[in-house]
Amino acid sequence: MSKEKTVERRYLPEISQKEMAELKNTVKTASQKIIADNIERMKKADPHRPEAMKYFDDIANLFGRRQQEIQAEKERGKKVIGYMCLFAPTELILAADAIPVRVNSGWYDTSKVGDRVVPVEVCPVIRSTIGAKMIELSPFLEQSDALISVLTCDGMTKLGEILSDQTTVWGMNVPRVKDSNQSLRFWSDEIKHMKAQIESLTGNKITRKSLKEAIANSHRATKAFRRLQDLRKANPVILGRDAMLVNQAYSWDDQKRWTEKTEALCAELEVRVQQKDWVCSPDTPRIMLTGTPMFWPDNWKLPALVEEGSPSGVIVADEQCSGERILNDPVGVDEWSMDDMLNAISERYLMASTCPCFTSKDGNEDRINWLLNKVKESNVQGVIYYVIRGCMLYAMEYSRVKKALDKINIPVYYLDTEYTREDVGQLKTRVEAFLELLNARVDF
Amino acid sequence: MAGELIGNILTLIVLAGLGAAGVLAVILWKKNRASRVSFLRFVIQAVGLAALFFLFALEPAIPLLYILIAWFAATLFLGRFFCGWICPFAFIMDVESVVRRALKIRHRLLPEKLNVALHKGRYLILAAFLLLPIALWVVDPPPNTASAVMMGQLLAGPFRPYSIIIDPLIPPVVPWTGQLILGDINLSYPYVGDIVTFIEATPGQILALAFVAVTLIGAFFIRRVWCRFCPAGASIASLNQFKAFKGVPLLYIDKDEEKCTKCGVCKRVCPAQVNEVYEQKGGKINTSQCMLCARCVEMCPYKDALKIKLANKTVFESRNWLEPSIESEERKIE
Repeated sequence: MSKEKTVERRYLPEISQKEMAELKNTVKTASQKIIADNIERMKKADPHRPEAMKYFDDIANLFGRRQQEIQAEKERGKKVIGYMCLFAPTELILAADAIPVRVNSGWYDTSKVGDRVVPVEVCPVIRSTIGAKMIELSPFLEQSDALISVLTCDGMTKLGEILSDQTTVWGMNVPRVKDSNQSLRFWSDEIKHMKAQIESLTGNKITRKSLKEAIANSHRATKAFRRLQDLRKANPVILGRDAMLVNQAYSWDDQKRWTEKTEALCAELEVRVQQKDWVCSPDTPRIMLTGTPMFWPDNWKLPALVEEGSPSGVIVADEQCSGERILNDPVGVDEWSMDDMLNAISERYLMASTCPCFTSKDGNEDRINWLLNKVKESNVQGVIYYVIRGCMLYAMEYSRVKKALDKINIPVYYLDTEYTREDVGQLKTRVEAFLELLNARVDF
Repeated sequence: MAGELIGNILTLIVLAGLGAAGVLAVILWKKNRASRVSFLRFVIQAVGLAALFFLFALEPAIPLLYILIAWFAATLFLGRFFCGWICPFAFIMDVESVVRRALKIRHRLLPEKLNVALHKGRYLILAAFLLLPIALWVVDPPPNTASAVMMGQLLAGPFRPYSIIIDPLIPPVVPWTGQLILGDINLSYPYVGDIVTFIEATPGQILALAFVAVTLIGAFFIRRVWCRFCPAGASIASLNQFKAFKGVPLLYIDKDEEKCTKCGVCKRVCPAQVNEVYEQKGGKINTSQCMLCARCVEMCPYKDALKIKLANKTVFESRNWLEPSIESEERKIE
């Protein structure tokens, strides 16, 4: 699929076709089973699941409908641009009539393959994505004509370089201090450069009109997205996992269709709110997740444990770039001129982001404020601070977050794990103990 | 005579129409707060223009001193609300912005340092204009009118919004001739008179016209460029600079720190390049640069992060959504 590169491979080892096919087959079969299993468990947890979730169950199959759709579009001449961080300006990709897909990998098994290239100390998301590329497992990663690699955390910085052995990778340099004019100028230049690159790859010029349309469509998506998040703020009408899946499906689904289906889901849920048809008892401890992103399909163990444990909790909010951060911030255009639209895009992606890769004189205060605000708005009773080993930035911010949450008397639990299924039993004990504690607090 | 009557009737019709439009806009906005506040502001500005025009044309004229006192009293409580919502000169600049947007020309920003310097320097301009009549009197006492006329011309053009304040000071110096009437039509606002009488130009008039041209052209590219250093704005704001008056403003922007993600929208959309809304951590926004035009509140994408409060009661708050135009489009679909 990717054109033959004359450059020698600097990182990725040669794997024989046979071994690759074998590995791919095994992992793919296992993964399909896991996807089906995850969905089955979600159905079981909520016997009265919203009708509209059917669509998302379908689209959640990474090797199914959406892969074929993108393939068909590609044959019609559309380009696919993958991205690994939320900093990638999807509006520009959409305006150039290309398809944006997020390619971070959630497969546990491929992280073992990635171990051949990078040591195990490295963040599993990175290892897994490398592994997925090595055995050509991820449909979206394979379909991407170019990848936008944003240099946020250490892992992402090198991931782009490693993947550039096999595909075109465009690096985007993120300034680490965002509250300054020079940072914004720098980032605006990066965005403009990215626009030129996208234009040259797709051959479509990004015009004022097409960009305006793309931004307007993203606004609609944000609107649907926020409507869903608002529904999670009161008594639970949807399981956290379902909402998380909907949120995450945005990163590979067709934007317009996703918006439509999410609106339909919200409409259905609003009826349930009126009928007081809760998905679980309103007494259930309300949990918020924060920390390392959780990628579908494999890395779904924690939400499953929280919502299926005994006692169980319900996830009502999260602060993850695989979740509520995806669409929370709209592009705030003042005047619909090309210049202002690009400025608005740069600001939305840089300044509104609460990624822990930033630092400033106030510390990464935006993230703390987001957490405090979400805790209050969603009546969160406990926060699970989820970190996978190797995710330095989130791990290092923990003590700051803990202090901030201590002030408002919200328990926060640091949960560290790996891309593995082996610790599920142990995690279950830990999660249930935390939920027990929350229940006890509620009783008081 | 007949011309004057027609002129008066036309004025009344325009005034009544604008007034009705203003009331309608307020009702619409109250019903559905999602409609654009900028639009509402535009209507009110137009109504304000007509009202000021009417105020000046009124026979017998209301002594300007009373207007001055009322204005100062209102300012104490409402801050620079006048600048954002009523000032006719600002309205002209806003119209220019609309034209520029229609022509798809991008706006420019003043360098931040210059903006701050101008903001601080406007007190000097204010002082200069307050002292000018006195200086002229000393140099060239009243019976001799040449320099006084020159100053009158100077003030007449670009400082017309300001003349509400300065006018009571003029009579000792300038033989104030009142309205500029050409034929039966009152031309004294906005600047038409100056241009018509340009034929008998004096150096002061040429200066005034040059100034008008520069500010008007500047305002085409830089939004509200004049407001950055407007001496009238400074005099409005100066009262609130004193500690004793700090608690008085009843109308102000309130920011909720926790709801803000510092996305920077408020900073970018501000027509006067006010940084404080973005930089201040929360609470009452304290700057006399802010004209309370509510553009930032309108554009803030986080619900309740920014609010306009009147006597601790929220009048208008940021919503969940940005461009309401899209929202109304959605409504149409539904």
